[in-house]
Amino acid sequence: MKLKSTAALIGSIIGASLLAATPAHAQNVKIGLLSGITGPIAAMAPPMIAASQLAVAHVNEQGGIGKGGKLEVVVGDSACNPQNATDAATKAVNIDRAVGIVGPACSGAVLAAANSVAVPAGALLITASGTSPQITSINDKDLVFRTVPSDDYQGRALARTLKGRDITKVAVAFLNNDYGKGLAEAFKAEFESLGGTIAGYSGHEGSKASYRSDLAELAKGGADTLVIFDYGDGTGLTILRQALENNFFKTFIGADGMKSDAVIRELGADNLGTFFTSSPVGEASSSLESFNKAFTAAGQSPDAIFTTTSYDAAFLMALAIEKAGGDNAKLAESLRAVSSAPGEPIMAGEWAKAKKLIAEGKDIDYKGAAGDHEFDKNGDVPGTYAFFKVSGGTYESLGEMK
Amino acid sequence: MTFIDFINFHIVPGVVLGSIYAVGAIGITMVFGILRFAHLAHGDLATMGAFIALSTMGLFGASPWVGLPVAMIFAAAIAVGIDKTFYDYLRDRPKILTVMASLGVALMLRSVVQVVWGVDSTTYQRGIVRPDEYFGILLRDRELYTLLAVATIVIGLEAFLRKSKWGKAMRAMSDNPDLARLSGVDNRHVTMLTWAIVGALCAAAGFLLGLNNELNSMMGWHLLLPMFAAAILGGVGRVEGALLGGLIVGIAEELSVLILPGQYKAATAFVILLLILLVRPRGLLNGKVL
Amino acid sequence: MELIGLANYAIFMGILIGIYALLALGLNIQWGLTGLFNAGIAGFFAVGAYASAIITSPHVAGRVGGFELPIVVGWMGAIVFAGLIAWPIGKVCLRFRSDYLAIATIGVAEIIRLVIKSEDWLTGSSRGITGIPRPFGELDYVASQLAYLGLVIAAVAVVYFLLERQLKSPWGRMMRAIRDNEAAAAAMGKQIEARRLQAFIFGAAVMGLAGALFVHFNRSITPEAIDPMIATFLIWIMLILGGSGNNRGAILGAIVIWLLWSVSEMITDRLPTDVALQAKYIRIFVVGLALQLVLRFRPEGILPEEQARQTAR
Repeated sequence: MKLKSTAALIGSIIGASLLAATPAHAQNVKIGLLSGITGPIAAMAPPMIAASQLAVAHVNEQGGIGKGGKLEVVVGDSACNPQNATDAATKAVNIDRAVGIVGPACSGAVLAAANSVAVPAGALLITASGTSPQITSINDKDLVFRTVPSDDYQGRALARTLKGRDITKVAVAFLNNDYGKGLAEAFKAEFESLGGTIAGYSGHEGSKASYRSDLAELAKGGADTLVIFDYGDGTGLTILRQALENNFFKTFIGADGMKSDAVIRELGADNLGTFFTSSPVGEASSSLESFNKAFTAAGQSPDAIFTTTSYDAAFLMALAIEKAGGDNAKLAESLRAVSSAPGEPIMAGEWAKAKKLIAEGKDIDYKGAAGDHEFDKNGDVPGTYAFFKVSGGTYESLGEMK
Repeated sequence: MTFIDFINFHIVPGVVLGSIYAVGAIGITMVFGILRFAHLAHGDLATMGAFIALSTMGLFGASPWVGLPVAMIFAAAIAVGIDKTFYDYLRDRPKILTVMASLGVALMLRSVVQVVWGVDSTTYQRGIVRPDEYFGILLRDRELYTLLAVATIVIGLEAFLRKSKWGKAMRAMSDNPDLARLSGVDNRHVTMLTWAIVGALCAAAGFLLGLNNELNSMMGWHLLLPMFAAAILGGVGRVEGALLGGLIVGIAEELSVLILPGQYKAATAFVILLLILLVRPRGLLNGKVL
Repeated sequence: MELIGLANYAIFMGILIGIYALLALGLNIQWGLTGLFNAGIAGFFAVGAYASAIITSPHVAGRVGGFELPIVVGWMGAIVFAGLIAWPIGKVCLRFRSDYLAIATIGVAEIIRLVIKSEDWLTGSSRGITGIPRPFGELDYVASQLAYLGLVIAAVAVVYFLLERQLKSPWGRMMRAIRDNEAAAAAMGKQIEARRLQAFIFGAAVMGLAGALFVHFNRSITPEAIDPMIATFLIWIMLILGGSGNNRGAILGAIVIWLLWSVSEMITDRLPTDVALQAKYIRIFVVGLALQLVLRFRPEGILPEEQARQTAR
C-alpha cells in the first residue's frame, strides 16, 4: 500500500516532467506572465492577464519575434504572496526557459521574485502593478522595471490637483496594504505641505463586511470630500457604497485602483456624479485610444485596473526581446533603448512598424497606453496622470494632472 | 457624536453584521457540538450558497429573496454529499483528519465557485439604497429583512431542536453520543440531518452577506475566522450562544474604531475571545469542552 | 527545455521544502509529540522572520533596526524571539484544550499579523523590510542557490537530529505519556503544565528559525508571506499527510505537498492557453482532491508514528 502510492506519486512526477520537457519551437521566445490569479486580488488578475495577452497577440499577428518566431506566454500564479511568486518565477525561468517575466502583481511578490529569482538568474522583470516604493531600491543589476509609477508620484499629483480644484479639507480612507498606504502617505504629505487639511485619516483591512463605523469616524472631522485609496472591485466598492448610502460625504476621489468598471456597474453611473479618479495616461493619448479600442474588441473592459500598464509591460518586453536579437544579456539595455527618447514614436499595437524600424537599425521610442515609459535609473516611470469623472457609463478625462 | 449617530453608525451595522456572523456561527457550533470537529469549509460553502442564490435570481429575474430557499436546499444537498464523500470514512479516525479534509473541501468549493461564477465582485441588486428613517434610526429594507430572516431561522431552529423527535435526537447526540446510541438514536440519520441544516445555514449566511454587501469568491473564507470566534465565544454546541457570540463580535468590530485604528478592527473578535476564554473557559453560555 | 533548468528548479524547491519542513518539524513537537493544537504557526514564523530581518538589515528612517549584524546573529535572534513570544502565549493559552487552543492561537497569530501590517516603526508595515542580506548571495545564480540549499539542509538536519535524540530520551517518553494519558502521567508526578509549555516554546523556536531562513532567501519580507493559508494551514496539511508524531513523516509531508503543488501546475499548464486562468483555479481543486485521496487511503499519514497509538483523539 505504502509502496504503491509512493510509486504512483513518483510515476506522476516523472510523467509530468516528461510532458514539461517537450522542447519549444526553436525560434520561439517564451516569457512568464505572473499574476495573483488565486488569492486576495483574484478579481483583478484576469483583465490584467488579458491585457498582457493582447499585447502578445499583437506581436504575433504582426510578424512575431525575429525571423518568424512567435512570442509564447507561460501563465503563472503568484497568488499575491512571496512563496508562490518565487515558485512561479523559478518555474518560468528554469523549466520554461522564459527570458523575462511580466509581473508578478503584488509588491511583496515582486520583491521576492526579483530578489531571489529574476535578478540572480539574469531575467528581465517588468511589473505592471507593483507600486511599492521599496521596488525602487532593489539592488537589481538593472533588471527590474515597472510600467506603473511608484505610489509616491500619483499620491502627490492627486494632492496638487485637489488643491487646484479648491478642495482644502478631506478625509482619507486607505486599504492597509502597500498600494493604499503608499498612496495615502504621499498624498497626505503633499496635501498638508500645500496648506490643505486632512480631517480624517484611517486605514482599513480588506474584506470586512461593514465599514460604516470607520466612515462615521472619518466624517467626524467635518470634511465633505473622501479620498479612497483602495480597489474599486474590492473593498473600495464596499466603502464607496456605504459612504454614498449613508451620506457621509459629498465628493469622492479615488486613485487608479478605484477607476474600475465594477464601480459603475454595481453602483450605477447616476449615483456617481461626484466621484472622480486619477489614473496614469500616456501623453500621446492616441496610444491609449487604440489600446481601449483593441481591448474592448477583445471583449474586455479597458477601465479595469492596471490593464494599460499590463499591456505596456508585455509590449515593452517584446520590443526588448526583438531589439536584443536573441542576446538575452542585452535585454535590459534594449529595453531602455526602445522605451526612451529620442526615436521614432511607437504607439500601442504598432508592432509591425516597430519591428521594421528595429530591423533597419533605427531608434524607436515606445509611447504606451499608460504613459511614455521613460525609465529612470531605478527602472521607475514618473507617470503622467489624468483626472477622470464618470460620464455616460464610462470614465471621461477631465484633463491632465500636474 | 450624538447618541443617534452612535446607534446608526455603530450599533445598527454591528447588529446587522453580527446577525450574519451568527447564522454562520450557529452552523459551526452545531458541527462542533454534534460531530466534534472544526469545519473549515464553512465559509466557502457559504460563498457557494450565495452564488447559487445569484444564479437562481438570474434564472427567474425576480427578487433575490427567491434565491434564498433554493440556495438553502442546494447547499443542504451539497453539505450532505460532502459528508458522504469526504468526511464519513474518517468518522472513527482522529478528528484532526476531518479538519484537514474540510480544509481540502474548502479549496475545492472555492475553485468551483471561481470556475463557474468567476472572480469578479458582483451584487444582487445594483445601485445604492438610501435608508428609511424610523424614529431617527436609519434602516434599509434589506437590513430589516435580514434581521427578520435571522430571527426566523433562529426561532425555527430552536423550536425544531426542542420539540421535534429528530431535534431531540440531535441534542442527545450532542450531549453524549454513546448514550444517544444506546437509547436508539440513529447516528447516521442524525449526522445527515445535521449536515442538511448546516448547509442550509451556510447558504443563508452567504446570501445575507451578499445582500448587504457584494459577492465574491473569497467572501466566505474571510468570514470564517470571525464566525469561529463567535461560536467559541458563545460556548461550543450552544445555538443561542452562537447567536450571542455573533452579535457581540459584530457590534464589537463596529465599536472598535472608536478606540483603535481601523487596521485593527479584525483583531477585535480575537481580543474579546481571548479575554472571555480566560475568564470563562467554556464560553459565555457554558458550552462543552472538547 | 534542458535538464539544467529542471535541476535549478529542483534546487529552488529543495530550499522551500526545507523551510516548510522546519515548520512541520516545529509543529510536530507541539502536535505530534505533545498534542497541542497550535493553529497559529504563521505568528511564530512571522516573529522569526521579522526578528532576523530587523537584526541584519540596513537602517531605514522611521523604523527600528539598522543593526546590520551578521546573519548568524539574526538566526539566533529569530529563534530566541519566537521562543520568547511563545512563552506568554503558551502560559495563557495552554490551559485551553484542543479546539479552544486552536482558535486562541489563530487569534494570536492574526493579532501578530495585524501588528506587523500596521506598525511602521517596528516592521515597516505593509511595505515590509528589504535589503536583507543573503548568505552566499554574491555568488552567481546556481552556485548561490546550491549554497543556500546546503544551509537549509544543514538546518533541517540539525533540528531533526536534536529532535530524534530528545525523542528517545526520557523527556520524549514523558511527552508521549502526557499526550496519551494525561491523568496517568500526572498521577506519576510529572509536571504536565511545565512540560507542555516547554514543547510549545521549542516548537515555536523552530518555526522562528524557518522564518529567518525564509527572509534571507527572499532578501525581503512583506506581510503577504504570513497569510494563514500558506503559513499555517498548509503546514498542518504537510504534517498530517506525512505522518504526525514522526519527524521523518513531517519532512516527507513538506516534500509531498510542494511536489503536489508544483506537479499540479505542470499538469494544468498542459491545458490550452485560453483556459489558462481556469486552469489555475482547477489546480486548487486538484490540490484539494489530492489531499482527500491521501486522507482516504493513508489516513494515518504516509509515515505513521512508529509506536501505535492506543486511542484515537
